Amino acid sequence: MKKISTAQPVLAMLLGAIILQLIPVSGEWLAWKPNFLLLVMIAWVLYFPDRYGIEFSVVVGISADLLFSSTLGYHVLIFTICGLIVIFFHRVIAYLHMGHRVVLVFLLVIVVELLKAMMNSLGDIPVFLKHIPYLAVISSLFWVPLDKVVNRFYLRHK
Amino acid sequence: MVRKAFFAVLLATLLITLDSYTPWFESFRGHLSKVTVPLQLISNFPSRIGAWVDLNTTSRTILEQKNASLEKERLILLGKLQRKAELAAENLRLRQLLNASELLMDSVLVTEVIGISPNPLNHRVTIDRGADDAVYVGQPVLDAEGLMGQITHVYKNYSQVLLITDLNHALPVQVLRNGLRSIVEGTSDYHEMSLRFVSPTVDIAEGDQLVSSGLGGRFPVGYPVGTVAEISQRPGEKFMDIKVIPLAKLDRSKHLLLVFRLQDGDQSKGGK
Repeated sequence: MKKISTAQPVLAMLLGAIILQLIPVSGEWLAWKPNFLLLVMIAWVLYFPDRYGIEFSVVVGISADLLFSSTLGYHVLIFTICGLIVIFFHRVIAYLHMGHRVVLVFLLVIVVELLKAMMNSLGDIPVFLKHIPYLAVISSLFWVPLDKVVNRFYLRHK
Repeated sequence: MVRKAFFAVLLATLLITLDSYTPWFESFRGHLSKVTVPLQLISNFPSRIGAWVDLNTTSRTILEQKNASLEKERLILLGKLQRKAELAAENLRLRQLLNASELLMDSVLVTEVIGISPNPLNHRVTIDRGADDAVYVGQPVLDAEGLMGQITHVYKNYSQVLLITDLNHALPVQVLRNGLRSIVEGTSDYHEMSLRFVSPTVDIAEGDQLVSSGLGGRFPVGYPVGTVAEISQRPGEKFMDIKVIPLAKLDRSKHLLLVFRLQDGDQSKGGK
């Protein structure tokens, strides 16, 4: 197994995700905008769980909290749970077909949004559920190019 | 791995508790915005390029048509303004007869939205005016249609605006028709607000216009806020559920107005 450096592509992808997240979109479209930081986190944890594990999920979660101006710890909790799910299943899913991975991301986005809705309802914040399926579909579409890029690093690493 | 995850969950819970009940991270967030604003400017490039391409590819005929239409619109507005000036003078005379205090005159400064909060539940925007333009915390912000929100954080060259539809925003208003006072609150929906604690016996109807009442001293009197869209009452509830549609284009307006009140004195530098 070759040891290749992935720090630069990870940082570049995180920066790209932050910029994509900040691109202004109006009103209702904002709810359909994928969480690009979450997708980048899933991609690297899925393919490189030994390098980018729970600690990585926590760091990306803190970045998301600061970016979204949410309560500090809110995204840390959600990203940690999501990272843990990905780590548990990575041995199986890394060998699955792209289509299967897209379905997995679709389901993970739904889980994350339901977790968010649950936490929001605990804090008496209004909960919107209608957008979740659309958001999951859009996130899955964005996953395809992201998966291809990280998969290339994974194959070089192997 | 499970142990690490357990500690991460503990850390997250601790952070949530500390951030919810203490102001310890406030200054840190303030400093962090110095990093996020340049990123917001970068993320605005696609829309700026789109606007530039649009401007440079529009044909002369379309521009001439647009110019003619704007000229007509300007004439109509000037006509309305003359009528308004006459009404303002009459209002001033009547107030003097009643020995009432004079209404404060406001001046405005045009500003542009450079960033929008990526969190759909967090209704905040960043504008390109800051302490250098004498912007101050609590300053009202308008668009062409109505009241948009207020300044919450001021930095050197930019500021953050909390929109009136944000869940944490409440605004004292009055019904234009009869002066009934109430408080309108945000619901995290760009197209809906709610009027709180209105008893079923009061005179309010669908279609009523709401304007800022000036109570609390933060917002000036008389700026349009919204229109009453729906009134309902659930059995057993003491107050009515009143939905209000904001007049300002909160999710679309790109150019906003910062309101300076002339009595603010040292803030007059920014008023234009």
